Amino acid sequence: MPAKKEVCDADGVKAAVEKVADGIISEFLDAFPEDFVVIGIHQQGVPLARRLIDFIKNKTGYVPELGMLDISMYRDDIGVRQDLPQISETLIPFDMNDKIVILVDDVLSSGRTIRAALDAVTDYGRPGLIRLAVLVNRGSHEFPIGADYTGMTLAVPAERKVVVEFEETEGHDRVCTIDWKKKRRSAKEDD
Amino acid sequence: MNVKKEFILSGGKVADPFSGVEAKRDIGVKNGKIVDPKSLKKAEKIDVSGKIVAPGFIDLHVHLRQPGNSAAETIETGTKAAAAGGFTAVVAMPNTSPAADTAAAIEYLNYHAGRSGVVKVFPCGCMTKDIAGTEMAPIGSLKNAGVVALSDDGKGIQNHELMKHIVEYAKALNLPILDHCEDENLKGDGVMHEGVWSTLLGMKGMSPASEELMVARNIIFARMVDWKIHLQHLSSKESVEQVRAARKRGIPVTAEATPHHIALTDECIKKFDTNYKMNPPLRSEEDRKALIAGLADGTITVIATDHAPHTPTAKLVEFDYAPFGIIGLETAIPVCLKELYHSGVLSISDFVAKFTSGPAAVLGLDDRGLKPGNAANITIIDTERKVKIDANKFYSKSRNTPFNGMTFKGKAVATIVDGKFVFNEL
Amino acid sequence: MGKFTWTKKDLLSIYDLNAEEICCILDTAEEFKKVSQRNVKKVPALRGKTVVNFFVEPSTRTRMSFELAEQRLSADIINISASLSSLQKGETLLDTARNIEALQADLIVMRHSAAGAHVLLADKIKCGVLNAGDGAHSHPTQALLDTFTIREKKGKIKGLKVAIVGDILHSRVARSDAWALLKLGAEVRLAGPSTLVPREFEKMGVKVCHNLKEAIKGVDVVNLLRIQHERQKAGFFPSTGEYSKFFGLNEETCKYLKPDTMIMHPGPINRGIELDSSLADGSRSVILEQVTNGLAVRMAVLFLVAGCVKK
Repeated sequence: MPAKKEVCDADGVKAAVEKVADGIISEFLDAFPEDFVVIGIHQQGVPLARRLIDFIKNKTGYVPELGMLDISMYRDDIGVRQDLPQISETLIPFDMNDKIVILVDDVLSSGRTIRAALDAVTDYGRPGLIRLAVLVNRGSHEFPIGADYTGMTLAVPAERKVVVEFEETEGHDRVCTIDWKKKRRSAKEDD
Repeated sequence: MNVKKEFILSGGKVADPFSGVEAKRDIGVKNGKIVDPKSLKKAEKIDVSGKIVAPGFIDLHVHLRQPGNSAAETIETGTKAAAAGGFTAVVAMPNTSPAADTAAAIEYLNYHAGRSGVVKVFPCGCMTKDIAGTEMAPIGSLKNAGVVALSDDGKGIQNHELMKHIVEYAKALNLPILDHCEDENLKGDGVMHEGVWSTLLGMKGMSPASEELMVARNIIFARMVDWKIHLQHLSSKESVEQVRAARKRGIPVTAEATPHHIALTDECIKKFDTNYKMNPPLRSEEDRKALIAGLADGTITVIATDHAPHTPTAKLVEFDYAPFGIIGLETAIPVCLKELYHSGVLSISDFVAKFTSGPAAVLGLDDRGLKPGNAANITIIDTERKVKIDANKFYSKSRNTPFNGMTFKGKAVATIVDGKFVFNEL
Repeated sequence: MGKFTWTKKDLLSIYDLNAEEICCILDTAEEFKKVSQRNVKKVPALRGKTVVNFFVEPSTRTRMSFELAEQRLSADIINISASLSSLQKGETLLDTARNIEALQADLIVMRHSAAGAHVLLADKIKCGVLNAGDGAHSHPTQALLDTFTIREKKGKIKGLKVAIVGDILHSRVARSDAWALLKLGAEVRLAGPSTLVPREFEKMGVKVCHNLKEAIKGVDVVNLLRIQHERQKAGFFPSTGEYSKFFGLNEETCKYLKPDTMIMHPGPINRGIELDSSLADGSRSVILEQVTNGLAVRMAVLFLVAGCVKK
């Protein structure tokens, strides 16, 4: 297998984003509209969150508030990883209490990132409801966490990692798999 | 070691500052004495071609720590270290515990040196009782017991009047003074040289004025009393300049420098490694260069190690609390060859002189050269042999050296005391 | 987001860090500052990790700051002071540290009166070692919180003019601050009586001033250091009155400052000696913010260092 292999092109990414956004709209804006906020998890969850908000705005006129979350302080693998990347900006410009929160991340893999994000979000207040939106669900769950809105499902071998690239950040939209040397059930990078 | 009754060291280059010879020559040894090789018909020929054959090296400044701190070193291990370092004789400093300030203490040293010493141990007696700096020690008795010099090393006498009396008294007994030049007030509780690095590191410094003022005092007394005062472990540029001027005037002062003071500076302290902590401290690059210049122009006639063993436990503490001192017998020749011979500062004969004729002159010894009839005390050096310093392989009991792991070119490869090989890596 | 990652298991001195590493700490501290501003002021980053606060030299403020930082990171904490430790019984520092290591501690935060004590430990034990002050040598977290405060208020460090005034000779804060600011491109002036600010400091790359006006004219930041009565007794200057007249920041001397010059002090303040109350409490003073920022910076440092401690 080559080191980096594209498994989904720009059109596929666009379609997946729309599918996720439609899911959110269908639950919260169709029959009985409710306010909600969108929180992107660094790194790639943030540009994805912005895309979803844009799409929702264009389709319905509603603009949910955007939050950004870096979960480095909530990881369960400090001291076990090879290295610790720099912390990115956490921005929660609204009161978390009673809010409907759509957590957004690019890839759902083990579920550990989401667990950390849930801890972080609940440290800001007591949300009314939390939903999880992901672009890619690769299904190798280590924690009992599932996505509420999924753009696409991919079956990927354990030794490969899913990487999502966006035009805003990497210059083009696509989903790739790359070689990943680490064993299963040990500390992984962003998933 | 195989005890050879007679042998010829053949093919080596003799460098003998006592006779001025620097040439390829064979040296004969029979029954512990130097003999004309032509007189030995059936003797074994030992090939020392490519090596330097020198009179036995003398270290004027060694702490053997026995009695009182045998955990750090004993007469046996210290003299084995001396032999491995190429030294055939050492002068044992008297700041043992109890101090060597009585005839009994000197007799103890002579007894043990005779039994377990591997090289010649010259005893040195205290100038003052218990090195307290207040009352003169029984210098006459010490002379009778066999001391070759007097010193309060570790400390300097602060009371100038007492010092003058001691110099006068020592002159009558023909005993040279080896003085540790230090004004205690200016030294204070400093732990390193007072200069740029002590300022940058926020550590307490010892002003070089502490040494320079006592150097001045000693020069004045050497002139006034007209007696030999040898200044131990000079460390400052100003001290060297004072000695240079004094010697020009014919004042009987001599001076020594240590290998570490000519190799290292106070910048090393930024690592906070206590193997760079000693007294007098490592000083600036300017001071280091001045010491080398002093060795080059003959102002400084002696190199002595100030070999100061300390157990690892004692040294592995906070820099401020660690005792002063590092060992030096087994690294002296490699370090000095680098700084003085391979660098072109001294010829091989001038280099050898710092360890032979220089110290012998201080002690008034005239039988240390390679002249037939003298005792066979010989140091053989290979100036090209690569050596990587491994403190764990030292013969010394202690490991407190800053040179561990470093590679040098040149070392002593054989040491002969009274005709017997006490160290042989030929 | 750059590829830079923190790789050191110890924080011993600012001298050992480069500009990139310093900025990494400051950027991380920005995020931790936010934690202290929300309702739940805790994160689980150091949950299950044991931090030992080993204050061989006593301290109130720095110790409090570190303890709170550790609690906010959910660490388990043990406090040891010299009087309660077996150092009193003659145990060496290294043995005490090895005992702490044997208890599976992850980090040791140490303040010690002997310069370089931390270097001795860091070499020999597996725990991460954080320097909370060693003799007159180094106080890296103070320098980091000072630089953080300046960067936050002024937007940058490069090109700023910063004056540090006081007993520089005996101050670990002055040395660490100067190194940090120089590494980030500021112009640093050290000022005080000539007995307390020797010219040797110029070898760092700073300007030495023995005249207050010369030192603080046109600066963007002035950092006052506490003057200690012990120094007066030791003969470094005649009296605190004279010190205050010639080197204190008061109604008279503050005329040399710009309207937007920031006033800093590591605390505790000798009001009326190095700094007048009106200025300490005035609008240009950021002294209390320094304390707040100290907490964030210490959380950041603990977080980064803990990530590199391998068992």
